Amino acid sequence: MTDTIEKRLGTLFWVAVGWLAVISLLAIFAPLLPIKDPDAYYLVKGVRPPYSPSGTHWFGTDQDARDMFARTIYGARVSLVIGFVAIAFGMLVGGTAGIIAGYLRGRTDKLISFIFIVFLSFPSLVLAILITALLDRGLVTIALTLGVLAVAPVGRLARASTLSFAEREFVTAARAIGAGDRRIIIRELLPNVVVPMGALALLGMAVAIVAEGGLAFLGLSVEKGSTWGKLILFGAGSRELEKSPWIAFGPIIILFITVLALNYAGDRIRSYFDVKEIGL
Amino acid sequence: MSGLQTEGRVDTGRILTVESLSTTFATERGPVRAVDDVSLTLDRGQSLGIVGESGSGKTVLSRSIMGLLPSTARREGSIRFGDQELLGPGAPDMSRLWGREMSMVFQNPMVSLNPVMRIGEQIAEPLRIHLGMSRRDARSTAIRLLRDVRIPEPERRINQYPHELSGGMRQRVMISIALACGPSLLFADEPTTALDVTVQAQILDLIAEQRAERNMSVILVTHDLGVVAGHTDVIAVMYGGRLVEIAPTATLFADMRMPYTEALLASIPRLDQPSHTRLTTIPGRPPELIDPPPGCPFAPRCAYARDRCREERPPLSPTQDPTHSYACWFPVGSPEYLETREQLAAGLTIGGRP
Amino acid sequence: MNYWVQRLTASVMLLLAVSMLTFGAMNLLGDPLFNILGPAAADTKPESLEKVAAAKELYHLDRPLPERYVRWLGDMVTGDFGVQFGSTGQPPVSNLIAERFPRSLTLIVMAQLLASMIAIPWALITAARANRPADRVSTINSFLLIAMPNFALAVILKYIFGIKLGWFPLTFKATDPWLTRIYQTFLPALTIALPAAAVYQRLLRTDLITTLQEDFILMARSKGVSRRRVLLRHALRPSLFSFITVFGINTGALIGGSLIVESIFRIPGLGSAIVEAILREDFPIVLAIVMIITTAFVLVNVVVDIVYTLIDPRVKR
Repeated sequence: MTDTIEKRLGTLFWVAVGWLAVISLLAIFAPLLPIKDPDAYYLVKGVRPPYSPSGTHWFGTDQDARDMFARTIYGARVSLVIGFVAIAFGMLVGGTAGIIAGYLRGRTDKLISFIFIVFLSFPSLVLAILITALLDRGLVTIALTLGVLAVAPVGRLARASTLSFAEREFVTAARAIGAGDRRIIIRELLPNVVVPMGALALLGMAVAIVAEGGLAFLGLSVEKGSTWGKLILFGAGSRELEKSPWIAFGPIIILFITVLALNYAGDRIRSYFDVKEIGL
Repeated sequence: MSGLQTEGRVDTGRILTVESLSTTFATERGPVRAVDDVSLTLDRGQSLGIVGESGSGKTVLSRSIMGLLPSTARREGSIRFGDQELLGPGAPDMSRLWGREMSMVFQNPMVSLNPVMRIGEQIAEPLRIHLGMSRRDARSTAIRLLRDVRIPEPERRINQYPHELSGGMRQRVMISIALACGPSLLFADEPTTALDVTVQAQILDLIAEQRAERNMSVILVTHDLGVVAGHTDVIAVMYGGRLVEIAPTATLFADMRMPYTEALLASIPRLDQPSHTRLTTIPGRPPELIDPPPGCPFAPRCAYARDRCREERPPLSPTQDPTHSYACWFPVGSPEYLETREQLAAGLTIGGRP
Repeated sequence: MNYWVQRLTASVMLLLAVSMLTFGAMNLLGDPLFNILGPAAADTKPESLEKVAAAKELYHLDRPLPERYVRWLGDMVTGDFGVQFGSTGQPPVSNLIAERFPRSLTLIVMAQLLASMIAIPWALITAARANRPADRVSTINSFLLIAMPNFALAVILKYIFGIKLGWFPLTFKATDPWLTRIYQTFLPALTIALPAAAVYQRLLRTDLITTLQEDFILMARSKGVSRRRVLLRHALRPSLFSFITVFGINTGALIGGSLIVESIFRIPGLGSAIVEAILREDFPIVLAIVMIITTAFVLVNVVVDIVYTLIDPRVKR
């Protein structure tokens, strides 16, 4: 059985997962890795930075002679954490709200749905900017802000998923043998709703990472430390692009591949389980 | 008359000669021979009925002759329309002939008409493409065509959409589209199957009427022998992609040879039978076309089949009447047939009955 | 009729909720007093206290929150968006909006136009050659485009067209004539248009392929209509519905989403205005722009619905 699942998801899927694993491990174990110090200045006497990519500096250095490869790896730490926390929060809160709304229906559903719609009507970036500008700009705030933004779309999907499953026979059967609401939600609905949510988690994480990048470009991301967005921003000025495009393009490539991997993996999971659904 | 109008036009005589036509589809499970070595001819003004069950290849045959097949299909053999060979190198661009010299009426008019295009536009299209008519001329011609097919208030109908018309009217519109440029050959692919019984006769009469008026040839494809009985000159019976019997209509009904034809006829419910008479059906299913077994395709379901039928494929051979051919080793009226008949009547079965 | 009344009420309620949320956020999460007067807000010197009192009066800051909200709502509905906080001379917000709105509008209109001009031919070609090499390559391309973050795309396009090829200028003056402004808007519009075009193309292609399987397409061919004409005249129209729906909804989304692109390319539109305003905690501007954007978004969705019923003759009016 696992054999067929592996084959169906495709080799590219596992390549994507592989990349994600690699980048996560690099990020987690960064301080232990034999890479340069991201904050150190590797000035060479007599030569003005930035230095182009070479054997010593794989991604070159920035205007202050800091190693871009190391900075990108360390940037991954923050970007990935933000993405993860944001979507985790969104799924926890949004998912729960959505399932409850979908299962209980009636007034609860109308209220929760209305809240979802209000949030969805907001140009999401505006809300993010609003909150981050008014509160402090720490890691937690930003991650949670994006998390709050994730609640509505996740919740909407969870609700739709629950609605479609709640109609199914196995729920009626469970009810017939006297199972209470809570039990039904946890044991019958949750496992089924989790699957499309899994795909959404990957896709959502990609969105969160990109959203953080967007905030960084507006100068509204975390104040301390670097994220991919901030790194790209530093390299995106007209002068930098002209003379030293690697400053921006190093992080852009890593960011793009990561987002691509997340998108692809999420997409594959979704289509795989969709196909199974139809077979149902 | 402009050059456009005379190209490919056949005025009298033989309009269609099909020789050893075979159509094979490339599928995932292997090549499917939907039409197997079919030959027939048709004269101007003549009407040919192609009958068979679903899966017999009759629709594929009509589309193969017309050339309206998907790219996965390959045709072999020869199709001569007038003096033009339609297959092989030197074959003309069929778009020039379609709608102009040969056209088709499809089975389900609701899905065969463009739902978001007005009726008038759909009729005018071939007129403008093939005959180069102006918008105004095309419009008035369309109104005239609608009148010809007996649609009331044609000026109003012109601007309507297909879903605003009844099933019968939609089929009439389809016919008017097919007839627009005055083709010499009309294919009617199950034209009445999707319609009410009361409307069916009207449509068939309409086709017959237009055929007489225009001296047009008609190829009528159907599974219903009752449909072809009154409206065709010649009937061709298909089974398993092959032509198993072909004869002028009257001859076929009077002197059928192939047991399959007999069974088809027997399965038509008759008004003069006492009520609650069990309907005769042909047991079994149409054959698998992917890896056809040797011998006669009907053998597995034929009550009269013998060993030879399963081993050797009977060729299509004529009777004393050259217009009547059939493909059977032990046709109706032969000694073996009569022998089996007696045994069946006595309640004994012979191998071959599933 | 009933349906539209429902729709209208729902939309109004939505806008009210949004306004409450925004107003609340701005007033509860920041300190307006600080923003207007700077450090003087906390100062206890008599002159400062006077200023504080004056500011409080002008902006009604001493009244309770709900009352301020109602006042503000009333003002806004009558077109008075208030004055900008903290700027000398305090020009009304409506001026700012009138100035910036056209540029954002130009950007969005251009982006959507470009996106359609790219997407429709692209979809037609790939649908006609479905599953053949050209189509497969195109699918990969779409996927890549959609996955690319918009700021990264902006940087890439800026690099390729602005720097390497030098086709587009990188600095703008506010006094440029409108033709130049359109030229300047091209690259940012393209940044928005490319991913949108990829989405539109994917959708349109799928619908086209489905439509091409329909019987009426075969019937059209049997009339002698050429493949090209069948594609354009028969297959395209019935396939447009999903595309139009998404197109319309996307216009609404773009209204808010052009923020980043405006900032990157330094277009003086509503998006960059709101970013600057938020950083300055300039409430009236933020509130006004948020309301405009959201109203536009809701409005666009309603319009899309109307257009939908008009286009498809099968849908009952």
